[in-house]
Amino acid sequence: MMGDLIAWLFSFFILLAVLALVLYQIMCFLDLETDYINPYELATKINNIMLPEFITQGSLCLLHLVTRHWIMFLFCLPYLCYNVNQYIHRRHVVYATEVFSELSRQKRQRIFKLVYLGFLLFFSIFWMIWSIVDEE
Amino acid sequence: MGPENSNKANNYPRPTAPFVPPQTNSPFTSSRPVIGSQPSPFTPTSAPTPPTTSPSYPPGPVSGSSGPAFRPVQTGRPTPPYGPPTSGPFQRFPTQPFPLSSQPPPPHTSPVVQPISSPITRPPPSQFPPMSNFQNRQPPIPTMPVNGVPSSINGPPMQQPPPSIGSTHPAVRPAQTSTWPGYPGVQTSSAAPVSNQGGYVAPPPTSSVPFSSHQVGYGPTPPVASPLGMYGGPTPPTGGMAGLVEDFSSLSIGSMPGSYDAGLDTKVLPRPLEGDVEPTSFAQMYPMNCNSRYLRLTTSAIPNSQSLVSRWHLPLGAVVCPLAESPEGEEVPVINFATTGIVRCRRCRTYVNPYVTFTDGGRKWRCNICALLNDVQNDYFASLDSNGRRVDLDQHPELTKGCVEFVAPAEYMVRPPMPPLYFFLIDVSIYSVKSGMLEVIAETIKSCLDKLPGSTRTQIGFITFDSTIHFYNMKSSLTQPQMMVVSDLDDIFIPLPDDLLVNLSESRTVVDAFLDSLPSMFQDNLNVESAFGPALKAAFMVMSQLGGKLLIFQSTLPSLGVGRLRLRGDDIRAYGTDKENALRIPEDPFYKQMAADFTKFQVAVNVYAFSDKYTDIASLGTLAKYTGGQVYYYPSFQAAIHKDKLRHELARDLTRETAWEAVMRIRCGKGVRFTSYHGNFMLRSTDLLALPAVDCDKAYAMQFALEETLLTTQIVYFQVALLHTSSSGERRIRVHTAAASVVADLGEMYRQADTGAIVSLLGRLAIEKSLSYKLEEARNAIQLRIVKALKEYRNLYAVQHRVGTRMIYPESLKYLPLYGLALTKSTALRGGYADSQLDERCAAGFTMMALPVKKMLKLLYPSLLRVDGYLLESSMKADVFEKVCKRLPLAAESLDSRGIYIYDDGFRLVVWFGQMLSPDVFRNLVGEDLATDFSRVSLVRDNEMSRKLMDILKKLRGADASYYPLCHLVRQGEQPREGYLLLSNLVEDQVGGMNSYVDWILQIHRQVQQ
Repeated sequence: MMGDLIAWLFSFFILLAVLALVLYQIMCFLDLETDYINPYELATKINNIMLPEFITQGSLCLLHLVTRHWIMFLFCLPYLCYNVNQYIHRRHVVYATEVFSELSRQKRQRIFKLVYLGFLLFFSIFWMIWSIVDEE
Repeated sequence: MGPENSNKANNYPRPTAPFVPPQTNSPFTSSRPVIGSQPSPFTPTSAPTPPTTSPSYPPGPVSGSSGPAFRPVQTGRPTPPYGPPTSGPFQRFPTQPFPLSSQPPPPHTSPVVQPISSPITRPPPSQFPPMSNFQNRQPPIPTMPVNGVPSSINGPPMQQPPPSIGSTHPAVRPAQTSTWPGYPGVQTSSAAPVSNQGGYVAPPPTSSVPFSSHQVGYGPTPPVASPLGMYGGPTPPTGGMAGLVEDFSSLSIGSMPGSYDAGLDTKVLPRPLEGDVEPTSFAQMYPMNCNSRYLRLTTSAIPNSQSLVSRWHLPLGAVVCPLAESPEGEEVPVINFATTGIVRCRRCRTYVNPYVTFTDGGRKWRCNICALLNDVQNDYFASLDSNGRRVDLDQHPELTKGCVEFVAPAEYMVRPPMPPLYFFLIDVSIYSVKSGMLEVIAETIKSCLDKLPGSTRTQIGFITFDSTIHFYNMKSSLTQPQMMVVSDLDDIFIPLPDDLLVNLSESRTVVDAFLDSLPSMFQDNLNVESAFGPALKAAFMVMSQLGGKLLIFQSTLPSLGVGRLRLRGDDIRAYGTDKENALRIPEDPFYKQMAADFTKFQVAVNVYAFSDKYTDIASLGTLAKYTGGQVYYYPSFQAAIHKDKLRHELARDLTRETAWEAVMRIRCGKGVRFTSYHGNFMLRSTDLLALPAVDCDKAYAMQFALEETLLTTQIVYFQVALLHTSSSGERRIRVHTAAASVVADLGEMYRQADTGAIVSLLGRLAIEKSLSYKLEEARNAIQLRIVKALKEYRNLYAVQHRVGTRMIYPESLKYLPLYGLALTKSTALRGGYADSQLDERCAAGFTMMALPVKKMLKLLYPSLLRVDGYLLESSMKADVFEKVCKRLPLAAESLDSRGIYIYDDGFRLVVWFGQMLSPDVFRNLVGEDLATDFSRVSLVRDNEMSRKLMDILKKLRGADASYYPLCHLVRQGEQPREGYLLLSNLVEDQVGGMNSYVDWILQIHRQVQQ
C-alpha cells in the first residue's frame, strides 16, 4: 500500500507541474494583453512550453494507467486526446502574426484547461488522502 | 420653441453656416462643439421636447400644419425632395447642376482663408478658383467656414441646396466673415466636454431652408440634446414625425411578400450611378475634422449605450487611409516643433489638435480625449484673445487642421531613419523567361531608377533564383555585376554580405549593367524548379539589417527547399465541406513565420505572381498580408498582352511616395475602444499596427466597441497617428483627428451612416470569415447583417407610419443592399468551385483587404458607359464626355446590341461591341476582319474615332493611378469570353445561381418582414 501512496504523491506533483505550465501560459497571454511582452516573445515562450506540457500530461496519464488508477486515467484521457489532436493538426503552435485575433480563443482554451486540471487536482488529493486513510 | 430658437441664434458666437442667413442655424453649425460658453441656452431644448413626441402631430404628409409651433421654418421646407410617400416607390432627388456648385467656393475662401490659414502650407487664395472642382469632390479644407461650402455641394443630391441658394450666399458672406473671430469660442467652451452637450443636439432648430431634407434626419434630435439623464431609453422615433412627411426612403413592393412576380420596377431601384457619395453632414458638423479621404466612420453618430450598439447590427468602426493622396493645394502641413518637442497629452499621449482647448490665459490646455489639463510649455505659449483663442492661431496649422504631419525628434527613433531600400527577388525559371516577364520587369525597374524616392540615399539589391540562388555583387568599384551561385538550399549562406545591397547612386552603372543583361542572362534557362523558400530566407538575411521593401516576382509554384508547396489544387470535392476554407489559408507555417520575421525587421513584401497554373497565392500572399504589402496577380502573364499593366503597376509601386518602418495607432475618447483591425499589417500590441511600408493605396479598417454601458461625453474624438520615416530620411508623425457626436437615438445612427465605410468593413469581415468558414457562410453573414439592420430600422417606423409592404431604409443606406449583393458576387466571395479560380479568388481577397473605400466601391459596382454616341459625334470635345456618357445600371438590359460599351471596375476595362453595330464603326475601331480574334486585336488605329476611344480609355485610366486597368475587347455573343469578362460581372443580373438585384431586394424584404 505504501507504493500506492507514493504513486499518488508522484501523480500529484506531476499534476502540479502541468497546472503550473498552463498557468504560465495564461500569464503570458495576459502579459501580451497588457503590452508587457510583444507577440514575438509570446510566440517563442508559448511554443517552447507547449510540448513539455503535452509530455508531462501524457506521462501523468501513463502513470495512472500503470498504477491502475482507472478512474483518474479516464479523467485524464479526454485531455490527452485533445492534446494529441491539437498536436497532429499542429494547432498548438502560436504564430506571432495572428496572436491577437486568436487571443481570446487561446485564453479561453487555457482557462478551461486550468479548471479541468483543478478538478483533477481535487480528485487526486481526495484519493491520496483516501489511500492514506485506507492504509491505517 | 420660437423663443428658444432665437435665443440660440443669439447665443452663438458666430453663425457658422456659410449658406444660411445668420438667424437660422444650420444643423452643422450648431452641432459643432462650438456652442456658446455655457450649456444653459440648451436646457430649454429638453424642456419643450415632449411636444415633439406628442402624438398630436399628424403623421401624414402634412408638413406645415403643426410645424410652425415647433419649427418655424418648416413650412419653408421644400417638400419635393421627399415627395408624397405614394408618389413613387423610390424617391429621387433633384440633382444639382454642377456649375452652380463649383461657383461658391472662391468667394468664400478668400475672405476666410487669411485669418486662419497657415502660411506654410496654404496656397494663396488665388489658387483656389481653378481647383474648385477638387473641392467639390472632397470637402477638405479644414478651415471652418470654407468647409461648409464644398461639402454641402458634394453631398448627396438630396441635401443640395435649392438653386436659390446661390443668391442667398453672397448676402450671407459678410456676416460670416465678420463673425469669424467668434470661432475661438469653440475652444473655450469645448474645454469641458460636458459643455458640449448641446453641441450635437443643437441641430433641431435648424430647419434652415437649404438643407431641409437633411434636417429631416434631425427630427428626433432634440431629445438627444437633452441632458443625458433625461433621455434614458431609445428615442421613440415619433420625435421625427413633427411635421415631417417621412423620415426614411422607401421602395414600393407591389405584391404581397412571398410571391415572386412582384410589381417591383427595376428602374426605381437605387443605384450608385454617381459613384461614391460621402455623407457631408459630418464634415459640416465638424469642419476641423480631417478629410474623409483619410478617415471614414461607418456612422458619424456614435451610439451612447451598449444597447444601442447591439441594435445597430452593422459594423461599428472606421476605415483609415493614413497617407491618401491629397489633391494639389491641399498638401498636409508639416510642422516642426524644433524647440518645444511635440506637444502631447501627458496621460493619454494624444497629439495636440484643433479640438484641444486652451485655458488659464493660455498657460494650460485640456486634452480633448482624456480631459487632462496639461501645462503649455513656455516655448509654445501664446496668450488668448478675448474670445479665448490663441492669438497666434494662424501660425499653428496643428490647431486649425485635422490633418497634420509633425517632424519627430530623436525620441521617436530606435535607430537612425532608414534609407528607402528596394530589394528584388526574381524567379528566372523557364516560365518567367518565356512569358517575357523578366524582360518587362528589367526594363521597368531600369526606367524607374531615377524616380525612386530617397534621392541619393536609396539602396538596392537583387537576388535571382531557379533551382539555385544567384547573388549579385554590385560594388561601385566594379563595372559589371558579379554573379555568385549558391546551390546548397538547406543551409543558406550569404556570400559577400556587404556588397549585395548597395547605394543606388554610387553603383548606378553596375545596376544599369545588371538590368540590361538580366533578360539575356537567362534567356536559355530551361530550369523549371523554384527554390523560393531558400531564396526568401537569403533575401531576409540580406535585408534584416535595414528593412525596406522586398518585391518578389514569382511565376511557378515553389518546389524546392524549405517552404515548398504542393499542388493542393482546387479540389471540387472540398467545396461545401468544412475543409473548403483550408484552401484559402497558407499551407505551410513557414510563410507565416517568415512574414512575422519580415515585419519584425521592417521588411514589407510585395508579391507579383504570374503563373498560368496554380501558384498557391494563399500561401505566397500571406507574406504580403502581414508585412503591409500587396499582392499583384497576373494570371497567364504574356508580355504582349499584360506588359503595360505590369509596367504601370510596378512603376507605381516603386515610385509612389512611401512611408517606411511605420507604426500606426488610433486613439479615441474614454469609453470607446478599438477591438479589431482588418487589413494588411501585423499587430505588434493590442492596438499598435506595424507597417514596414505604407503608401497612399493602402487602407486599414478597424472596429470599435463601447467599454462602458453608457457614454457620458457628447463627443467622441478619434486620432490616428502614423509614426513613419519619410523617404527623405525624416522621422515624422502623420496625425488625423476627427470628432463625432454621441447620440442616443438609433434613427440618427442610421441617418448618419456612411455606406462606403460600412461596405468596406463588411467586405473585409466577410473575406476574413471566408478564411475560416465556407464561402457560403461568409456571404450569408453579409446578408444577415443587412437584413438585421433594415429590420431594426423598419421597427423604428413601422408603428407610426403605414409602411405596409413597402421596403424602408434610411436614405444614407440606400445603396447598402446593392453593395451587399455586389460583395457576395465579388471575385473573392462568389459562388463555389467553378465561379472563380482559387488563385484569383485569393488574390482578389488580398487586394480587397487593402483597398481604400472609393476604389472598393468602384470595384463592387463598376461603371458601365455607352460610348458609341460620343464616338460618332465628331464635333464633341473630350470635356463633354462625362455629360454624354452616363453610367448605366449594371444589367444585361442596359446593353444595346447597336452600341459600344465600356465596363470599368478600376482593375480592368472591357470594351463591348454589340452585334448590330454599324460595320463602319466597327471597321474604324478594330479593322476589316469581322472574324478577328478579339483577345489579340489592337485598338490603336489611325483615325479620329479610334483616337477618341483611346482618349476615353486614357481618361478612365487617369482617374486613378493605383492600378492599370487592362483593356479587353469583346464582341457580343463571343463565348466564353463575353461571359467571363462582362456578363458574370453584371451584378444586377442573375448569374450562375446568384440572385439578381430584384430577387435580392425581394429576398431581403421578405426576411426583414419576418
